[in-house]
Amino acid sequence: MSSPHHNGMTAHRRCSTSVVAGAALVVPMLLTGASASAETRGYVISWFATATNNPEFAINCPRAVKDPASRYATTGKRRVDRAFVDGVEVSAYDYPDALETDPDIETVTGPHAYGFDLGGPEANKFTDPETGEKVDNQLWRAVGCTTNFQFTPPAMPYMEGQAWNSGYADAAPAWAIQISGPDLNKDGPVTVTLDRTLDHLLRDALGGIRSEVTYVIDPSPRSHNVLEGEIKNGVLYVKGGSLWLQGSAPFYTQIDLENAHMRIRSTPGGKLVGHWGGYTDWRKWAYMYTSRCGGGFDCIGIYRSVQKLADADPDPVTGKNRLISTTWRMEAVPAYLASPDGTVLASATADGLGGRIHPPPAVASTVAFDTPGSIEESATETAPTTSSQ
Amino acid sequence: MNTTHSRRLSRLSAGAIAVLGMAALWNASAADTDMATSVRLSPSQYRLTIADIFGTSVRVDGRFEPETRDQGLLAIGARTGNFTDSGLETYDTIARAVASQVLDEHHRAELLGCKPRADTSSDDECARKFFSRVGTLLYRRPLSDAEVQTRVAMAGAEAERLHDFYAGVRLSLAQMLISPQFLFRFKRMEPDPQRPGQERMNAYDRASAISFFLWGTTPDLELLRAAGSGELHTKQGLERQVNRMIASPRVAAAVHAFFADMLQFTEFDAVSKDPEFFPRYTASVKEQAQEQTLRTIVDHVVTRRGDYRDLFTTPHTYLTKDLAALYSVPLVDVRASGQLQRWLPYTYPADDPRIGILSHASFTTLWSPSGRTSPTIRGKALRQNILCQRVPPPPGNVSFQFVDDTSNPQYKTTRDRLTAHSSSPMCAGCHKVTDPLGLALENFDSAGGFRMSENSAVIDVSGEINGKKFDGPVGLARAIRDDPAVTSCVAQRIFAFETGYMPPRDDPQWVEIQKKFAESRYDVLELMRQVALSDLSYGSSGSKLMTAVND
Repeated sequence: MSSPHHNGMTAHRRCSTSVVAGAALVVPMLLTGASASAETRGYVISWFATATNNPEFAINCPRAVKDPASRYATTGKRRVDRAFVDGVEVSAYDYPDALETDPDIETVTGPHAYGFDLGGPEANKFTDPETGEKVDNQLWRAVGCTTNFQFTPPAMPYMEGQAWNSGYADAAPAWAIQISGPDLNKDGPVTVTLDRTLDHLLRDALGGIRSEVTYVIDPSPRSHNVLEGEIKNGVLYVKGGSLWLQGSAPFYTQIDLENAHMRIRSTPGGKLVGHWGGYTDWRKWAYMYTSRCGGGFDCIGIYRSVQKLADADPDPVTGKNRLISTTWRMEAVPAYLASPDGTVLASATADGLGGRIHPPPAVASTVAFDTPGSIEESATETAPTTSSQ
Repeated sequence: MNTTHSRRLSRLSAGAIAVLGMAALWNASAADTDMATSVRLSPSQYRLTIADIFGTSVRVDGRFEPETRDQGLLAIGARTGNFTDSGLETYDTIARAVASQVLDEHHRAELLGCKPRADTSSDDECARKFFSRVGTLLYRRPLSDAEVQTRVAMAGAEAERLHDFYAGVRLSLAQMLISPQFLFRFKRMEPDPQRPGQERMNAYDRASAISFFLWGTTPDLELLRAAGSGELHTKQGLERQVNRMIASPRVAAAVHAFFADMLQFTEFDAVSKDPEFFPRYTASVKEQAQEQTLRTIVDHVVTRRGDYRDLFTTPHTYLTKDLAALYSVPLVDVRASGQLQRWLPYTYPADDPRIGILSHASFTTLWSPSGRTSPTIRGKALRQNILCQRVPPPPGNVSFQFVDDTSNPQYKTTRDRLTAHSSSPMCAGCHKVTDPLGLALENFDSAGGFRMSENSAVIDVSGEINGKKFDGPVGLARAIRDDPAVTSCVAQRIFAFETGYMPPRDDPQWVEIQKKFAESRYDVLELMRQVALSDLSYGSSGSKLMTAVND
């Protein structure tokens, strides 16, 4: 599924074909990314998933509270999804654009979601529960009532968590972050460089991601991103820029953001916790979720909901939006980062950004995924941390 | 008794009788050969021996009888090692598994060395060829005609009973593998024709002693040839073989085994760390920590032929990604992900706290409880294992109230807690000996990570040895390096590793060995060479030689 949008590639990707021939000369330059700085700290992403906001489930999804079965594709009152192409019935999973009837799943109506102000219409905005700002996050609006997303950190949305913990973290190349600046123990301008590595993450004795491991940066310029940011009151902000990171199947095959924003802080041990947001290609995101449908998850409903709520970059021919505002939650642990020639580019440190360590974010109890059989009992509960279906 | 049961019983009987028979033979062997001069093969020696005789594709699976540590070494404990009933059973299990592999379809063509006339019956000629050849290697001496005939007869009887030639050889081979002649090496004395009235160790036992000392395995054919020809009883012949073996890369295995014993790495079986406090201490780190130190030692002692004392100050080591993360240092390996972690050389800056083997996780984690450090235990290990200085055990009624209370706001650091604990006169005497050494390593937590503070209090890492003050792990490393007990201790231990007993303190030969060790700038391989060439290694284990130097 290619998107016409990516034919008008942004600068760092447009140059990728030209650097191939001269990779040996260009690579070291690209890998340093940032201009010479007094300090560069290294991290690798240790947790990455769609940012959820489930403590307000009853407010977000009143229809689901009244009729929990409505959230299942294969039970309850919704008809089986059917699709037709040229009058011939086809699999709705293969042709979700050819559905006979829009599943019209419930979307989030509550006022809060994590995110960033991307300049979208006021009518679509949420209020960020952390900052109180008006933010764009149509992806959360589209999927926030579905069963798959009734999870609260440290638990990930179900499919993302399955992929991360059953192979991704232990087999896929890690994503690396370098933060460079004159003095990272003070507020001030910084450069944020993101790359893919040649190594997968290593686990510690608790099953978490081990810190202070050394990773080698993948020299391919495809996943090399340099963004400008600022540390203010000990929080790192990025406000604008393009980001593209190659991933792995099944989640995330790529991280693709336009108008990329970040808000990240240091917690004990030097771990970073925060959010990334921006506009992402809705079709690629939906493909990620709906191409491996199963377990009663509403893949078709999610696909159509995301498609409908896409809110940026209209296609010049069809007029339909190709991008959707989204926010991800991330964590990263300190890591040494090196180039393939052995040069250590970034050091691991437990020091906080801007010289500040923020308390670890309050974590609600982990939401366990209940089977459909528990719908009736849990539907009467108002506590949204249960995974009532 | 029904038929099935009787068949099972007959199979059990054959095995049980064989085992019991072996036990009886052992007692007889012990009476004949004097148990004080027999040394049980260690698990490492057993494995290397099987690999050398039958190839590395023959696996040794199973649990060995636990070894006994005596005077700091398992090698000394092996001198008095015997078997319990259950230990004999485990060795029988291992032996049968090895024999099965040797005679299986994958191995028999190569290892048997002959093809029987028929697979379904006995073939004494083929069996005799096999047992004559293999028997020499297993028993580390040529078998007598009677011994070969015993093996052939057992193989033949079993082959006829089961209509399977290979089953017969398999059983007879398994019996050899639980014979004391295989599981023990002996020091059998014979009259010395060069010195009437005196005794000498017989040549084949001498070959065993040399080989297990210098290569950690059974004698090779060249060494057995030298034994058979009488060369090992001559100064030149002995020197030629010892020099050959010292020059071989195989000497690294013996150095590896010796230091694993001296540093008591078998104690790692009992090490565990609380993952809530030490998430970076994974199972792989626990294994790799030992290998890091042994690789560092082999590199320094064998490859570089360095001064033994410099092991305590060397900035050179080998790390994996896991260990590098534990030590918070970058280690760049540009190989693609998914492959096994490699050992890569790493060099610390000259004054880095991590110089020397005392800073390795193999020392700092092995000698720490699971949730906190113990300068006392670390200091004691240093005194006993590195300096050969005995530290008495604590009294039975000691209270650990202060040292275990790691969250006491009044005693924030381990030093504070130990000071409170050892204020009691009952405790002070021993703590004066151990704690000044162990406290210098307090920058290393129980899992080997580096820290500057404990409970928000800065850690004081000053220490003292023999009245000489020093500061921190680098100061300790240099003080230990310069302590004369370091070299005398390793010399004693190497001698004991070879002979099974501590060297006689005032014997002129022993004094000469230490002198040559010093003249060689404390070259451990030269020390091993001198020990292997010395008559002290092949003398009688009479009581006048069995003196513990550190009494």
